[in-house]
Amino acid sequence: MNTISHFGSSVARDANRTLGGGWAAIELLRRTFIASGALDEAGHAGLVAVSRLTPGTNLLAYCVALGWRMHGWRGSLTALGAASVPGSVIVFALTAALVRVDQYSLVRFALAIGILAATVLVLSAAWSLLRPYLTASALASTSVIIALSAALLLAGLTPVRILLLSAAAGAMLGRPLRAPQEEP
Amino acid sequence: MNPLVVYVLLLKAVATSFAGMGSLPQIHEDFVETRRVLTDEQLSRAVLVGRSTPGPVGAYVVAVGYFAAGWRGAVAGWLAMITPALAAIPLFTLMQRWLHVARVRAAVDAVVIASAVLLLSSAFQLAVDGFRQLLPR
Repeated sequence: MNTISHFGSSVARDANRTLGGGWAAIELLRRTFIASGALDEAGHAGLVAVSRLTPGTNLLAYCVALGWRMHGWRGSLTALGAASVPGSVIVFALTAALVRVDQYSLVRFALAIGILAATVLVLSAAWSLLRPYLTASALASTSVIIALSAALLLAGLTPVRILLLSAAAGAMLGRPLRAPQEEP
Repeated sequence: MNPLVVYVLLLKAVATSFAGMGSLPQIHEDFVETRRVLTDEQLSRAVLVGRSTPGPVGAYVVAVGYFAAGWRGAVAGWLAMITPALAAIPLFTLMQRWLHVARVRAAVDAVVIASAVLLLSSAFQLAVDGFRQLLPR
């Protein structure tokens, strides 16, 4: 990931090869950049927090923050283009060609398999975020935040309200839930 | 429709949502109900195309822009989709600057944990969606 072109091609590859939304793509990005040593789990968690609190598409915000962290503003712009242009070109082409992608049963089957594969990636993403907090010392505080956010979700609050109320609850707890060397 | 107006309306919808499809109600209000430049069927097709292609689901705004103003509208849709993401830079910088404060770190930790809970909910919805697609129509 030393060169910006290598970084951009990695983002373009991982951000544009899953169905079902950005979180499956973010999980692929996490795996790629952690495997290369350019990112660690705590850094990934910090990027997730930023992407969740940024208006608009989470995947694009994640890529912008990742690019900023690795290559400054050039990295942000490269990541933004790499993550958004290929998918947008396909959307444009399908819309302009008036192709009804869902009218063929084989296409519907392939889409369903793609979505189910994305489900596995999203579950993996959730586990990678939760795992560092499931330590004996943090279990009680983590359980409080999980219970609170699940209750707010069931009550029908929007995601951003759930995140802000959870952040307020975390601040009231007053002490970080991770060990100091693992800070996001 | 003027592509600049398309950009402003889509930017308003995208910048006031916090997930790919979160902008849909505002887009429906502005493009289908108020200005009547899109039909319900066109908006449904835009969403379907966005969900059926790789990459962010939010890319359906490119299709919305195309239906509203041709290829210039598609470019306006793409610009509206990417503009709010740049807000991640000041947020990331602020977070790094204040992360040494225990309460800030605890708040960020709580956001990460709540994100995981939201992801579990998304995974459930995706699984339902996937199995529904497998059923014959």
